[in-house]
Amino acid sequence: MTWLVWRQHRIQLLIGAAILAVFAVLLLVTGLQMASQWHSALVACTATHSCGDQGGLFLGNRAVGFLVIMTLGAPVLAGLFWGAPLVAAELETGTSQFAWMQSITRRRWLAIKAGWMLLAAAVWGGVISALVTWWSGPNNALHLDAFNPGRFDIMGLVPVAYALFAMALGIAAGTLLRRTLPALAITLAGFIAVRAVIALWLRPHYMSAVTVFYKVTAGYTPRGSYWQLAQGILGPDGRAISTDTVGPVIAGVPATYLPASCAPPNAGAGPIAPSCARALARFHGFVTYQPAGRYWTFQGIETGIFVALAAILLTVTAVVLLRRDA
Amino acid sequence: MTPVIQTRGLAKRYRRVRALSDCTITVPEGRISALIGPNGAGKTTLLRLLAGLARPTAGQMAVLGGTPRQDPAFLAGIGYLAQEIPLYKRFTAEDHIGIGAHLNPRWDAASARDRLRSLSIPLDRAVGRLSGGQRAQVALTLTLAKRPRLLLLDEPVAALDPLARRNFLATLAAAVADGGLTVVLSSHLLADLERVADHLILLAASRVQLCGDIDALLAEHHVLVGPRKDTTAIEKTRTVVQAVRTARQTTLLVRGNAPVIDPDWESDEVGLEEMVLGYMGQDTPPPIAHLTTVGEDQ
Repeated sequence: MTWLVWRQHRIQLLIGAAILAVFAVLLLVTGLQMASQWHSALVACTATHSCGDQGGLFLGNRAVGFLVIMTLGAPVLAGLFWGAPLVAAELETGTSQFAWMQSITRRRWLAIKAGWMLLAAAVWGGVISALVTWWSGPNNALHLDAFNPGRFDIMGLVPVAYALFAMALGIAAGTLLRRTLPALAITLAGFIAVRAVIALWLRPHYMSAVTVFYKVTAGYTPRGSYWQLAQGILGPDGRAISTDTVGPVIAGVPATYLPASCAPPNAGAGPIAPSCARALARFHGFVTYQPAGRYWTFQGIETGIFVALAAILLTVTAVVLLRRDA
Repeated sequence: MTPVIQTRGLAKRYRRVRALSDCTITVPEGRISALIGPNGAGKTTLLRLLAGLARPTAGQMAVLGGTPRQDPAFLAGIGYLAQEIPLYKRFTAEDHIGIGAHLNPRWDAASARDRLRSLSIPLDRAVGRLSGGQRAQVALTLTLAKRPRLLLLDEPVAALDPLARRNFLATLAAAVADGGLTVVLSSHLLADLERVADHLILLAASRVQLCGDIDALLAEHHVLVGPRKDTTAIEKTRTVVQAVRTARQTTLLVRGNAPVIDPDWESDEVGLEEMVLGYMGQDTPPPIAHLTTVGEDQ
């Protein structure tokens, strides 16, 4: 049966391998460039004691950077091109009737087919994720954004889980709909919908977020690659104030909330006037975030969710395929 | 001896459509059974039920001594070829032989290759690029290579030209003569199968009209030709399958061997085609037709 799976899907799998190879070469070349760029920037800034301010530094190549962001969509490709046709194409062309009349049960047929394709999907997601994670090292050190949505999703373990989920979704859609094209549409739509719902509404709540209040004059930045969920300024009455203004802002507080002594050009020019400092002391900043230390816990939870969803989809597929008339 | 196929009250319903109703048949080992019936009579449904590709909505069946099921040993005994001739279009015949070798315990690759070579069908060309008849031959060859104990063929000769048809049926007859093989092959044309079949299952309107040894069935049926008159006397002792009345005479196809005493009626032997067509013309079987199976040592 393994022989048949390979014989049937070797072209698809070889195309996938070729894409991975090209991607790997691109990322290795630009990644090595970036690493040396980052290293020399560090050497230079250490010499001038200016390592705190690297905001203007840009690493790597814009096109490759864009490609790396596009790997957000890589897992669903496995579901679309490998998963959706896996059963649907056989039902459509009737070849399932050939396969199922050999001396092999439908259960075994599905298990071996789906098993190898899930492995292929995991390799696909895993290789891309490993390359992207390595490539993004210097950028994460620079921007501390590994936990942010969009970055979290393309690094570490989760791309493997997404690819497994996409594959399971494709197989399930193909089995239920019996036709490849509608299965493709459902796989794409379903993948985007589930990913969006989980990333936007579920992920922030995997663990209860940490909120820190701080003096606006002192400011506060959590350590490392944290994930900021909310941030703002509380006024003297303890309610959040609108910091959305085009006017001048002193220590994060719009000047309109403050006495004239805070207004430019007084502010910033010298020490803050005592009346202004007193006024600022009545404002508090807050930041709600997931600390950097939770990164791998979150990766684990999200991986678990998608692997579980994949398992449910495959169970449904097996039940439908075995119960239904061939 | 246990029959290879035995069903009782088998029925299959697809949503609101009755594909097969109250199907009771018996096929003993070593027979070539012609499954005949007009289009839509339920032939494909019956074959799919026997192969385990579909589940009955009612009734029981024993195929090769057990219920059709998902079990490698059961599947190894069944050779089923669907009407659509399902093959992997981009694979060559040789690829298919390879698949069979990997998935079946008793695969006869050598004779499959020999058969295809003798039909001058290229082994190394994608089957999608073969002609329809050649594809059918490849599919039949693969089904035979599995060395099944029961061969279920759905309209196998439809795609073949007359010569290939004869050739194929001869192969089939030889395989059965070697022993251990039973065949059920469907067609809506009796002429296709008349040469090799020795057993008949006649389906019409999703019901079994006749099932049994062809010679025994023929011996039971007669054509009575007589004047246009009341047939009540005859209907008391025999079953009238079909009655054709013209202005001058009445022609009856009857079942049953009770002697005809009335000298007005002339009794004649009936041909296979005549008998089959007589049954196809009607929707409900006469009471005895679906209750008894003729010519079997049960």
